[in-house]
Amino acid sequence: MKKFFGLTSVLILSGLLLGACGSNKKDKTEDTGAADGKQVVKVAALESAYGADMWNKMKDAYEKQNPDVEIELTLDKKIEDVISPNMKAGNFPDVILLATGREAGLTETFIKDKNLEDLTDVISMTVPGEDNKVSDKLIPGFTETLATNPYNDGKTYLMPMFYSPTGLFYNAALLEEKGWEVPETWDEMWELGEKAKKENIALFTYPVAGYMDSFFFSLLSATGGPELFNSTMNYEKGSWDSDKATKAFEIVGKLAEYTAETTVANANQQDFTKNQQLILDNKAIFMPNGTWVPEEMKDAPRADGFKWGMTSLPAENADGDRYSYTFFEQIWMPSGAENKADGKDFIAFMYSDIAADIFKEASAIQPIQGMSDKLDGDNKLFYSIYDDGAKAVMGGFSSAETVEGVNMHDALYGTINSVVSGDKSVDEWQKTVVETAEKLREAAE
Amino acid sequence: MNRRKQKNIFITLCLLPAILLVSIFIFYPTLTVFFMSLFKWGGYSPEKEFVGLDNFKILIKDMMFMRSFQNTILLIVLVTIITLALALIFASILTREKFKGVNFFRVIFYIPNILSIVVIAAIFSAIYDPTSGLLNNLLGMLKLDGLQRMWLGDQKIVIYSIAFALIWQAIGYYMVMYMASMASIPESLYEASSLEGAGAVRQFFDITLPLTWNTIRTTLTFFVISTINLSFLLVKAMTGGGPDGSTEVFLSYMYKQAYTNSSFGYGMAIGVIVFTFSFILSAILNKITEREVYEF
Repeated sequence: MKKFFGLTSVLILSGLLLGACGSNKKDKTEDTGAADGKQVVKVAALESAYGADMWNKMKDAYEKQNPDVEIELTLDKKIEDVISPNMKAGNFPDVILLATGREAGLTETFIKDKNLEDLTDVISMTVPGEDNKVSDKLIPGFTETLATNPYNDGKTYLMPMFYSPTGLFYNAALLEEKGWEVPETWDEMWELGEKAKKENIALFTYPVAGYMDSFFFSLLSATGGPELFNSTMNYEKGSWDSDKATKAFEIVGKLAEYTAETTVANANQQDFTKNQQLILDNKAIFMPNGTWVPEEMKDAPRADGFKWGMTSLPAENADGDRYSYTFFEQIWMPSGAENKADGKDFIAFMYSDIAADIFKEASAIQPIQGMSDKLDGDNKLFYSIYDDGAKAVMGGFSSAETVEGVNMHDALYGTINSVVSGDKSVDEWQKTVVETAEKLREAAE
Repeated sequence: MNRRKQKNIFITLCLLPAILLVSIFIFYPTLTVFFMSLFKWGGYSPEKEFVGLDNFKILIKDMMFMRSFQNTILLIVLVTIITLALALIFASILTREKFKGVNFFRVIFYIPNILSIVVIAAIFSAIYDPTSGLLNNLLGMLKLDGLQRMWLGDQKIVIYSIAFALIWQAIGYYMVMYMASMASIPESLYEASSLEGAGAVRQFFDITLPLTWNTIRTTLTFFVISTINLSFLLVKAMTGGGPDGSTEVFLSYMYKQAYTNSSFGYGMAIGVIVFTFSFILSAILNKITEREVYEF
């Protein structure tokens, strides 16, 4: 009760305070606007593992090119908490860099509320300071996913930013030392699992169940091709209970038997690095993860000669396709933005060579053609995953409607913890997912 | 005249700031919560759709909510009973018995209360760690390997792991409260009773307990409120409601719905239920523990 009072009063209080700050700020910027005629673009960006520095450099680069525009940056590791109170009071940043799939789900909320500015025209804009259009520079496919066109209506509401292939991460040195091959099909995977079991090494672990998202997206594509991926993401009738989807559930069910014993106990926000540590200690072979993990674990102790390796998911059979899900962050504009024209220009500038180089220095890679050739080190290995024959999967669940108390993320990934610990069977798990998809589909119709 | 009138004006003026603050920061937000629970709203868009009591209708059928309800009630019952019993026993030992280090134990017992709940979460995650944790290693040392568990991974016991941490941090606080109340009981009562041949246990039940009853009653309400609050903080920091929702409690579920499932209105409906529940539970506890107050 006290908490509840506290929470609401804090909300109101911060609303009032920030509302006051907000209006002050507005007055101030109007003042400066009048004084030197500068347009202000308010940019809010998530300070992720790439660091805050690159955004400050971006601000300088853009202001240098556009002397009459001032970029007002807000950067934070929990940017949702910083900008939300102001937005609840109706004060929106002009440009927001924040991906879907974050715990707070702020971007999803904007999508569901249809509260986004249409950015389709940005794609055909000329990149500021260059002759090319944005569409000429983007890698094809990136603006044709549910992550950029959430309503499936051919209009782009979120522009793709830093991308990162995901896959199974492992210790390449361990496999070399034992003379084991990286499995290319699931049958080879199970064989490796048996061999590893004899040496007391688990085949698989995952940091938290949420990390199974990229894994499952790739897996669905592997068992049923892009058709299955698209139909399941749109919650189409009969998609989640189709034979090909069932196959994917069964594979995870079998993988659960090979999962390191302590995985579930540590699969929470506080202890997930202990699961990642299993890979460094040679106690587990594979984990689903993203390219940020070497940086995240850089100070952790590790087995002698440890070398990061990354592979796409095994194919269903010898002539099946292999897939790797590409995660990318999005940049977007709330409908409530004030300075839309300059904001869009700033977004177009994101795809300039100047911007791409600034981002690349911080290891943040833009989906711009020819970027992967410029990389070196671990990044070269990670981003070349598609050169080795793996196909890319992009996008994610359609997030068009809210259904109270129904959450696909929990049903599909959260339940994996129960499957691994043996509290639920694969059948029960699939049933939960099918029911959840049904509810979401009904709401959308 | 006007003494009376002046007095009234003075009283009104003195009360005004407090009334204003309470209305702005307590009454208004509470009413807003009740009001917001009638809408379907994501939290940011300008449009709010009025849905009447729909949110509550969904809530009744929401199995995840029922699970968080069960978990919360289990925690309230366990934490209240065990903490109450232990805190009373420790308090009476520390006030009644004379032995070396009374003050030292007083401080030791109170320390968990000074710690932030996030620190407590970190401590217990180290205790419960399946491979390097204190608990499993202790059991291994005592040759009780069969009792080793995944304390945070096994869905059947993880809620008890949370309860244990809550009890650990609460004992000191309530113990100090009971000690304060016990210290005011006149020594003569104990002397008289011991002349009559009463032992320590008899004294506890016939003198200490009846004379601290009022304090105990007050703390029962505290137990309800603080367990609802602290279980949220601990769960958020330690398990995130997992594995697979097995440690989800009232407020963590409310938070999840309001802030991560884009259903702010629904979250507020949960808030209304939590508010009503804790209110009613405290009232019931207050009523059934009513006793004649003994004077000394």
